[in-house]
Amino acid sequence: MIFQVNYKSGKPIYLQLVDQVKTAAASGALQAGEALPSIRPLAEELRVNRNTIAKAYTELESLGVVETQPGRGSFVKENHAGLRKDVRRKLLIEEIDQAIVQAHHLQVPRDEFLRLVHERVDALDDRRRANQERKEVQP
Amino acid sequence: MTTDSTAAIQIDHLAYSYGRAEAVHDLSLTVRPGRCYGLFGRNGAGKTTTMKCLLNLLRPHSGSVRVFGLDPAKQEVEVKRRIAYVPDQVAFYPWMSIRETIDYLASFRQNWNAKTEQDLLKRFGLRSDQRTGSLSKGQRTQVALIAAVCPETDLLVLDEPTSGLDPIVRREFIETVIGAYQESGPGRRTIFVSTHLISEFEGLIDEFTIMDAGRGILTLESDPARERYQRIHARFANTVPELDLAGALRVRRNGRELDVIANGSAAKLEALMRSHAPEQLSIESLSLEEIFVATLRE
Repeated sequence: MIFQVNYKSGKPIYLQLVDQVKTAAASGALQAGEALPSIRPLAEELRVNRNTIAKAYTELESLGVVETQPGRGSFVKENHAGLRKDVRRKLLIEEIDQAIVQAHHLQVPRDEFLRLVHERVDALDDRRRANQERKEVQP
Repeated sequence: MTTDSTAAIQIDHLAYSYGRAEAVHDLSLTVRPGRCYGLFGRNGAGKTTTMKCLLNLLRPHSGSVRVFGLDPAKQEVEVKRRIAYVPDQVAFYPWMSIRETIDYLASFRQNWNAKTEQDLLKRFGLRSDQRTGSLSKGQRTQVALIAAVCPETDLLVLDEPTSGLDPIVRREFIETVIGAYQESGPGRRTIFVSTHLISEFEGLIDEFTIMDAGRGILTLESDPARERYQRIHARFANTVPELDLAGALRVRRNGRELDVIANGSAAKLEALMRSHAPEQLSIESLSLEEIFVATLRE
């Protein structure tokens, strides 16, 4: 997995890494059981403080996205919806509300916004399917 | 005895003058253990003087410096045992080979990681029989870095370590600090680095102080700093409307375009600019280097 750090996004660096792993796990670019890069080489490659990488991995573990096996590394979990359903809904609603506020500011009307949501969900499904097929071709 | 909560570096109201020229004036800052702390400033801002006070190469004229709670002037040996230092001008005995130089420097240290030494000599492509007098500036800095990393001290002090080096050497230098040094005690290794090449260290710096003319003028943690300083750029259909942009750090108007740097009030300024229906509006954070420039030009 290739990470990218953008110092101009305003988002803390460790959260950028967390979000990239979450996206990769959701799209199937990272499959269950796959390992995240070790902390030291990743920190050197990105030229980011190793504490930042460690913080991202700790956060991913507490979110239930990965599990850390001492001495072996961090691995993507099979089903990372470790949180209760109402908690999951609440987390998602916060993100949706932010997107709705943004749509309002950008003067994107309701119908177009909902159409965009469908489009994006389809796009993620397509990526997941493509990654799944690739996995079956190269087991 | 010191505990984990003792600051790695505590500087209180430090002042130092060369004759009548004041180099550092009323500087205070705290570096917590395990952090990477940047000291940013232009040439002559007082960074090197500050660092020399930590190493007891200079004695403060007023105020105090403490390293792990210890006074460098009174407990010099104990302080130096816990510090490794890479100066901006590296000097060795030119007749010694790299091997002799490293052995000589290692003889002052209680701890020396010989495996790291071998790894780094190989990585930098240094031949240990070369005389240090024949080394380039980049190679001398690499030898100094090896000598600073191998004792695995709790605190690494770097004074303008990469200025004047080529981009490959600079990159390797930073990778070594992150890899070999931080690896030797994850979470416990503290770095205090002065530089004006800020963008190179951007990912490493947890917290920083900007110095100007001997004074500390801004201290922030990096992530909150990038959240606080944002550039909002808008283009309007006709002319730029008259807006009350109080609270902006810098405003530039150019024809139909308006470019605003916000310091903590980005959301408010963005809403104000959007309320005049711009054709286009974008917002991005300032990098640490841009924050440095914006702060000094304020």
